[in-house]
Amino acid sequence: MNWTAAADLAGAVLLLLGAATCLTGVIGMLRLRDVLTRSSAATNPQTFGMMLLLAGLALRLRTGVDAGTLVLVAFFQLLTSAVAAHLVARVAYRTGAADASALLYDELGEDTEH
Amino acid sequence: MNKRLDLPLIAWLTIIWMLLWSGVTWGNLISGVVVAVILCLVFPLPPVAMELRLRPLGILRLAGYLVYDMVASSVEVTRLALRGKRRPAAVVRVPLRCRTDLMIAATAVAVSSVPGGALVEVNAGTATLYLHLSGADDPAVVARARRDVWQLEALAVRAFGTREEIERVQAAPVDGKAPQP
Repeated sequence: MNWTAAADLAGAVLLLLGAATCLTGVIGMLRLRDVLTRSSAATNPQTFGMMLLLAGLALRLRTGVDAGTLVLVAFFQLLTSAVAAHLVARVAYRTGAADASALLYDELGEDTEH
Repeated sequence: MNKRLDLPLIAWLTIIWMLLWSGVTWGNLISGVVVAVILCLVFPLPPVAMELRLRPLGILRLAGYLVYDMVASSVEVTRLALRGKRRPAAVVRVPLRCRTDLMIAATAVAVSSVPGGALVEVNAGTATLYLHLSGADDPAVVARARRDVWQLEALAVRAFGTREEIERVQAAPVDGKAPQP
């Protein structure tokens, strides 16, 4: 087996792994009960799956400029999914969708009251 | 007019433009610079104190830790999804040691990949993060989540921070008020 075949194979494995990781995120979103855990299920495995997909793609494309574009995609994916997760959590907390009565204690509530 | 032209930003936008057009050519370079300058003039950004340093070794260590954290987080979510049991949650205060907006933002982005915790609020004035944690009935879980945040903060500051900020994160973290029962 030469190097291109090996890279193609590794790329294919990474693409499959990435797709499977994204799938677990979706299953998490369907199975979990409240907004915050669902939001973390929608962001963390999805981002990681995306990274695996991009790595797999880079191994199959094998050109410098394409690799640069993929790094760019990964960078913006990391930044935006973190911001999106934070905004969902923040809105959920502020509108009470995060089920404030079920909280054991709430140090943010303490700090904003005074 | 000249003050609004942020040269590093124009360079960064031009690089993105060339990558999007898949090629480093003179045509892409020139059109990229033109587009970047027009963007900067039409949508001027508020001035941000860019106290940013790029420390390659620190960035590598941060990236390594984040990848490890993302794997752990994905495994954790999968485990929770398959079990589907709900654990008592709490909103926990984590005071940071760094003070600049950029470092607080970097820490917040890094923290968003921590397993089991959702970032609910960031107070930049007091440099405090508020995390929604499940399994907060166990004090060890809360203590570990706090330690994780402080470690990510130290890693982020060592990757991007000024020397002054690095000295700050070397100090022991100041704990918040004791959690209410």
